[in-house]
Amino acid sequence: MDEEMTETPLGDSGLETFQDTMEEFLATADVGVVYGEPIEHGDTVIIPTAEVLCGLAFGVGSGGGTSTDEKQDQPAQGFGGGGGGGGRVLSRPVAVVVASPEGVRVEPVVDITKIALAGLTALGFMVGMMMRMSQHKTAFPEIEE
Amino acid sequence: MSWFEHKINAGEAMQVGDMEITPLARVMKIQLPGKHVGLIWNRPQAVVVKTPDGQESTLPVIDVTRVTVWAILGAGVLGALIIGVLLRNK
Repeated sequence: MDEEMTETPLGDSGLETFQDTMEEFLATADVGVVYGEPIEHGDTVIIPTAEVLCGLAFGVGSGGGTSTDEKQDQPAQGFGGGGGGGGRVLSRPVAVVVASPEGVRVEPVVDITKIALAGLTALGFMVGMMMRMSQHKTAFPEIEE
Repeated sequence: MSWFEHKINAGEAMQVGDMEITPLARVMKIQLPGKHVGLIWNRPQAVVVKTPDGQESTLPVIDVTRVTVWAILGAGVLGALIIGVLLRNK
């Protein structure tokens, strides 16, 4: 039992997992993540580009144990430790770089759904404000002298 | 290492025909000190095109979707404020 208590709360495999996860997380900052592999089509080469957002959080903890000094009739008791974490990677196409014998141009990738949703939200803001203001007007009747 | 980092990284140059294309990416990195929390936002910035005669031109990579979405949302908030002011003064 004493031998176990002196061990690191997180095993080597756990630390390796954290290390690997951190390395993968930091690799997200590389330029190669944003620019895809060039696609050749005849004389034209297309390079897709994307935006990448990566978030990561994790925590580790360890427990404790009782010593034989406090309760001499009972054996010393264990130790606990553990960790956990989570993360999310979001990726979205932004544009494509088209290189042809005529030259190089950047063609944007437009997400119509996102734009439509933003339009509806903006419309909702305005209609909501109109309704709120008209309710204010009708809530208080005019006082006749 | 600082908790906030913002820089423009250049990738490896690609040879396409007789042109050389160098991709540039903008990276924002947040790592809170003492906490196991991190955020990386990596997005394309521009491509630098170098022609055989030595001319260099930079083509920006504009995120049209983001620009449009923020413009619409900004217009919505502004429109709501204007409607509010107009109806209050009526």
